[in-house]
Amino acid sequence: MSAVVTETRGQYRRSRGEQVGLFLRGDWWRIVLLGLFLVGGIAPLVMAFLISLKTIPQFARQPFALTFPLHWENYGFAFEIVLEFIKNSMIVSGVTVLGVLLLASLSAYAFGILEFPGRQVLFYLVLSLMMVPSAMTLIPSFVLVKDLGLMNTYWAMILPWIASGQVFAMFILRTFFESLPKELFDAARIDGASEWQGYWRIALPLSKSMLGVAAILNILGTWNNLIWPYLTIQKQALLPLTPGLWAYQTEYFTRYGLTMAGLLIGSIPLVLLFIFTSRWFVAGLTSGAIKV
Amino acid sequence: MAVKEMPALPNAAAQAVDVQERKKPLGRRIYEGRVAYTMLAPTFVFLLVFMYYPALLGLYRSVFKWAPGLDSDFVGLGNFIQLFTKDRVFLSSMDNMLQLAAWYVVSTVGVSLFIAVLIHRLRGGRTQYTFRLGMILPVVIPAIVPLMLWKFIYDVKVGPLNAILTWAGLESWTRAWLADPNVALYAVMLRNFPWVDGVAILILLAGLQAIPYEIVESAMIDGATEMRRFWSIELPLIAGQIKLITVLTIMWGVQEFTAVFAMTQGGPINSTMVPGMWMFFNAFRINKMGYASAIGVVLFLLTLVLTLINMKYITTEEY
Repeated sequence: MSAVVTETRGQYRRSRGEQVGLFLRGDWWRIVLLGLFLVGGIAPLVMAFLISLKTIPQFARQPFALTFPLHWENYGFAFEIVLEFIKNSMIVSGVTVLGVLLLASLSAYAFGILEFPGRQVLFYLVLSLMMVPSAMTLIPSFVLVKDLGLMNTYWAMILPWIASGQVFAMFILRTFFESLPKELFDAARIDGASEWQGYWRIALPLSKSMLGVAAILNILGTWNNLIWPYLTIQKQALLPLTPGLWAYQTEYFTRYGLTMAGLLIGSIPLVLLFIFTSRWFVAGLTSGAIKV
Repeated sequence: MAVKEMPALPNAAAQAVDVQERKKPLGRRIYEGRVAYTMLAPTFVFLLVFMYYPALLGLYRSVFKWAPGLDSDFVGLGNFIQLFTKDRVFLSSMDNMLQLAAWYVVSTVGVSLFIAVLIHRLRGGRTQYTFRLGMILPVVIPAIVPLMLWKFIYDVKVGPLNAILTWAGLESWTRAWLADPNVALYAVMLRNFPWVDGVAILILLAGLQAIPYEIVESAMIDGATEMRRFWSIELPLIAGQIKLITVLTIMWGVQEFTAVFAMTQGGPINSTMVPGMWMFFNAFRINKMGYASAIGVVLFLLTLVLTLINMKYITTEEY
C-alpha cells in the first residue's frame, strides 16, 4: 500500500535513476501528450522564425523550410521600426501601472483598513464598475478624450487606463490588506503613527508581492490593447506596440520575412519581463487573488 | 471597527467602546475619516471623469440619433427597436457572438482541464514544473502576434494550412479561409489550435493541488481507478475553479472583438460580425454614434444579467 502513496506524488527528491524509472513506468505517455500540446502551441512561432530569415524570392521558392543564406538583416530592418513602438509601449504601460498602483493601494488601504462613514456605499460604487463592459464606455470615452484635446498624446491612453485599471488592482490589494493582522496597525497607532505612515511603512512593504501581481496583470492588459490606441493615436511615432505591429504588418504584408521578424521582436519585451518576474506571476494567478 | 478586533479587550468592554463610537455625531465621524477621504479622492476623481461620466453618457446617448457636431434627435427606444427588429447584421452578430462564446467556453475548459490533470498526474516534480512553465509562457506573447500569425496561416495563396492540405492530397479542401463567408467564422473560432490557455491551466492546477492528499490516498487504498479518482474526487472538488473560468470566459466572449477586428473586421459580408465590432463600425466608420451607443448598452445589459445569474445561482462553495 505504501508503494501507491509514494509513487503517485512527485513530492520527494529522487535520484536520476529513479526518475528514469518513473518515466518508464507511466509518465512517458503523459509527457508525450503534453509535449504535443506545447509543440502545437509553439509551431506558429517556429514558422514565423523560419520565414523571418527569408527574402521575397526565397519565400516564393521555398516558403517554410530553411533557405540559405539566412537573412538576419531582416531583423535589423524590423528592429528600427518596432523599437519605436516598444519605447512608446514602455512609456505608456509604465506610467499607467505606476498610477494604478499608487491610486489602487491608497483606496485599498482606505477600504480595507480604515473606518469611515459611507465606506460600504463608496465601495459598492466602485464594485458596480466591474459590470460595465469596456464596449459601453468606448464611444463616450473617445468623445471625451477628443474634447479634452488629448488625441495623439500619450495621455489619451494613460489617463483612461489608470481609471479602468485601478478598479481590479484595488480589489486584489484590498483583499490582501484585510488579511493583514489588525494588531500591526493598532500598535502603530498607539505609538503615534499617522495613517499615512501606516500605509507607507506597514501596508506597502508587506504587500510587495501583491503589488507585483497587480502590476503584471495591469501591464498585460494595457500592452495588449489594440482598439483604443488605434482610435486615439494617428501619429505613427506615438503608436504603442500592439497597434504598431498591426500597422506594420499591414504595411509590409507581402514582405513576409520583414513582418515575421517584426512580430518576433515585438514579443521579446514581455518575455523578458516574465523571466524576471515569473515567481510573482505564477503566485498571483494561483493565490486565489483572481477570484476577487 | 478597529477596536472590535482587539483580542485583549473582553467582549463587553469592546461593545461599550463600540457604542461610544457610534454615538458620536455624523459630522464628527466624517471629520475623523478625513484621511480616508483624502486617500480615496484621487481614485474617485479618475473614476468620475473616465468611468462614470462616459458610462452615463453612453446610456444617455443611446436614446438619441446622434453624430458628433450635428444636432441630436431624441428617438426614445427607437435605436433599440431598430436593433432588434430591423437590423439583420446586429441579429446575426449576436448569433455569431453566442457561437464564439460557446466555443471559447468548451475549448478553454475542456483543453485546460485535460492538460491540468495530465500535469497534476506527472510523478516527476521537475517535469511537472517544466510543463507548468511551458504552458504559461505563451501568455506573455503579445495577443496581436498569434492573431497575425493565424491570419497568415489561413492565407489563401501562401498560408501553411492550404499547403498542408495540398501536401496531404486534400486539394479540394483548400480555400480562402478568412474570405469565404461560409467558413470565416469557424476559422476565427478555431484559431490558436491547440487552444492552450495558460491562465486557465494554472487556476485549475492550483485547485487540483489544493485537494488534501489524504482524500485521494484513501480512495486509492480502497481501490479507486484513475478515472474514478478524476470523476468522483477531483472534478467535484475543482468545480469552483471550473465555474470561475466559465463565467470569466463568457463575460469576456460577450465583449471581445479584438480578434475579429484584427483578422477580418467583421467581413466577409458580415459573416464574422460580432456586436462589439458592429458597434465600432457604426460609431467610427459611418458615424452613427447614438445607434452605436445603443449597442454598447445592450452589451452592458447582457453583462449585467450574466453577473446577476452568476451571483444568484452559481456560488462557489469551499470544501
